Amino acid sequence: MALEFKKTTVIASDLLGVEDAEILLEWLIKHPRGRINLSACTHLHAANLQVLMAAKPKVSAWPRDGVLADWLRAALTP
Amino acid sequence: MNPLLDQFLTEGRDVLQSIGERLLQLEDSPNDAALMDELFRLVHTLKGNSGLFDLPEMTRVLHAAEDLMDAARDGRVPFDRALADRLLEAMDFVATLIDEIAEAPDDTPPSTARHAGDAVRLGEALRSLLQDDSPPLDADGTQEIPQDAPPALYRTDAGPDLSALPEQTRQDLRQRLDAGESLCWLGYEPEEECFFKGEDPFHQMLQLGAPLWHRLEAREDWPALAELDAYRCVLRFEAIVSASPERLAEHFRYVPDQVDILPLSALMQTDTPQASATAIGPEAAWSFDRVLAAQREILALSDTPPWLDGRLRAVAASLSAAFISVDRAIEVETLEPALASALAARSPAPLLAWLDARQPPTEIGEAADIDAGAPTDSSGAKAPEAEAVRFGRRAEDHLTNPRTLKVDQAKIDRLMNLIGEMVVAKNALPYLAGRAEDVFGVRELAREIKTQYAVINRIAEEMQDAIMQVRMMPVSFVFQRFPRLVRDIAHKLGKEVRLVMEGESTEADKNIIEALADPLVHIVRNSLDHGLEMPEERRAAGKPSEGRLNISARQESDRVLIEIADDGRGIDPNRIRRKAYERGLIDETALERLSDQEAINLVFAAGFSTAEQVTDLSGRGVGMDVVRNAIARVNGAIDLRSQLGQGTSLRLSLPLSMAVTNVMIIESAKQRFGVPMDSVAETVRVARHDIRTIKHRRTTVLRGRLVPLLSLNELLALNAEQIPNDDDEFAVLVVRVDQEYLGIIVDDCRETIDIILKPLAGFLGGLNGYAGSALLGDGSVLLVFNPRELL
Repeated sequence: MALEFKKTTVIASDLLGVEDAEILLEWLIKHPRGRINLSACTHLHAANLQVLMAAKPKVSAWPRDGVLADWLRAALTP
Repeated sequence: MNPLLDQFLTEGRDVLQSIGERLLQLEDSPNDAALMDELFRLVHTLKGNSGLFDLPEMTRVLHAAEDLMDAARDGRVPFDRALADRLLEAMDFVATLIDEIAEAPDDTPPSTARHAGDAVRLGEALRSLLQDDSPPLDADGTQEIPQDAPPALYRTDAGPDLSALPEQTRQDLRQRLDAGESLCWLGYEPEEECFFKGEDPFHQMLQLGAPLWHRLEAREDWPALAELDAYRCVLRFEAIVSASPERLAEHFRYVPDQVDILPLSALMQTDTPQASATAIGPEAAWSFDRVLAAQREILALSDTPPWLDGRLRAVAASLSAAFISVDRAIEVETLEPALASALAARSPAPLLAWLDARQPPTEIGEAADIDAGAPTDSSGAKAPEAEAVRFGRRAEDHLTNPRTLKVDQAKIDRLMNLIGEMVVAKNALPYLAGRAEDVFGVRELAREIKTQYAVINRIAEEMQDAIMQVRMMPVSFVFQRFPRLVRDIAHKLGKEVRLVMEGESTEADKNIIEALADPLVHIVRNSLDHGLEMPEERRAAGKPSEGRLNISARQESDRVLIEIADDGRGIDPNRIRRKAYERGLIDETALERLSDQEAINLVFAAGFSTAEQVTDLSGRGVGMDVVRNAIARVNGAIDLRSQLGQGTSLRLSLPLSMAVTNVMIIESAKQRFGVPMDSVAETVRVARHDIRTIKHRRTTVLRGRLVPLLSLNELLALNAEQIPNDDDEFAVLVVRVDQEYLGIIVDDCRETIDIILKPLAGFLGGLNGYAGSALLGDGSVLLVFNPRELL
């Protein structure tokens, strides 16, 4: 499972596939103040990216991969 | 080149040809529905075939053409000259691609990515016809405003907004550009349904590596989370990357209509202080780059022809015109001194240096596309691309010489028959030589005839070889339908089967391959139906539940061996005996006498079937006898081996070619016989005292191996002793049967000749032991043995 849900944080690891977007969206709707930890994430499908961009959750940790983190920072920080 | 691609190219050309013809016919009679259907079908076929290969550009254009044809067929769009023109142009484009692929030296089709821009434009041009003519019918919503094909290499409607760049990045970019790096601005708007096509635009972007600058935004405002459709892509990526436009185009070749790629050199140049303020369009910038690239190529020529001066002047004129056309006239002032020093040194180096200082070399386009030899005048510098590129390949254009010929098979057959007759006719020459010597006593003439014979013989053999090559086909022609066949049958029977095929590229004569098709299908069905057990039964017997069917082909000297083996239940000889007895195929004494192998071979008897019930798969009594006859008709042999509980293996041995057979002539009891050379291992002389009798069977030791000996006269029931030569040695023909060696004692071994083997027909057809007969050069008939059946 690429997504692990804690009380207020979702931890994304490895690769977030296209199906994960729906699960992530659902969780973010239920937890409007939820945070996301992307430190172990290696790649996320563009659908997930859309969800994150629309929901703008707080990112508690950015991916370790520099290029990926750069893109995400540009997209998710206003 | 891989055969599939080869076939596609050949067929593709044919289809293009037909499409062209149909289009022209349709122009004369636009209401011919049959013709229209035919045209649609052709375009559709070509599109489908192109999809097999990594040729997105071709598929894109053909897809648009197909849509247009579909609309025309349904009467939604009138078939008129404009439509025909567009379609012809699209087909010319496809033809260009096909030629390009065909000319590629290596196996893999070359990337056609650099035609992506053309492909997009052609596709849009085709689709615009579709929309122009039927706006109200287009209710399902492919609704872009019809626009004339933009003369751009890539989409340019969304220009980059470089003002958003931070000053620091701008500086960095400028430095990199000055250092000669190729930078591109890239905009990527994935289509909304792209996720459903398995695309991941983000991944695509990340693949490019770390960009120098990037921006990611949504094309529309995000709705409330509850209403968000995560699977409708509204992202827009922008980036500046260090890569050539070609590389980017290649990277995004599947979505060329969704990306904008602009070489940054042109964009940045416009806001560098040294250039005047007028911004030039990306199109002009692109043309400008092309002109410069062409001039650079001319300058790079290393030869020093007498007209070098003229060439240098022409280059300088072109450069000056090009720079003036993009409002950089100020730079041209330094061009004159550069030209002067170049003329003085009779070397293009100063001009090249000048050019490099202005515009570092970038990999822009294929400079070879431009007519590199001719100096471009100032109007040419501006816009050779001002109108859509046409892929005109009308009648006056050069024809690519097709590498393959399509020839009616009847013609090849006639040629083969003639060559066959030639081979037989040349056999008459040695007899003629013999007669010249023996009857007329002119030895000189005999020798000359023999010399001539050697020459004719060599040519005839080469002719024979050549015609055989023409008729060769790979067995994959037959094999290719097995995966599907096996899958379907196994499914129907509820069995699990794994098909393993080997040696599909083995080649044999077309007739042989074709004669093989039906028998092989039958054999495979038999194996699946009778041979392989149900999964439970297999597990109970300690075998993996998945049965294995092995089909292999290989060449062994001048035969093709095809083996079909399964690891099923095998054939029970006792059951065969019983069945054969019940059906009255054998009598009681035979029932006792038959060996297991002989019993198994009874499955080849006419009217034999063990299946209790007739299924639609097998068991109708038209069985293995039909298979055997079909194989025998092409001089093939079939060999069945089975181990109860272990599996069954059927081995077909077929001649590579049925045209001409090479036989050795032997003599026994004053008669001549032929033995096919492919079964002859060697001929030796064995002295009488070397022959030992072991249990009433004569044997001898040859090269450390015990070889049983049989006398031909006994085998043929000829009442005569074999005659040894003067040294009391027997001529022994060692034949190979089923990997085992056996010596046949004959009176004498003679020469080998090529004959056209005619199978025995009519009443003689039942005689086994003979493969057939042939006519010799002196008009006599030669009977040819089949050693396998003789023994």
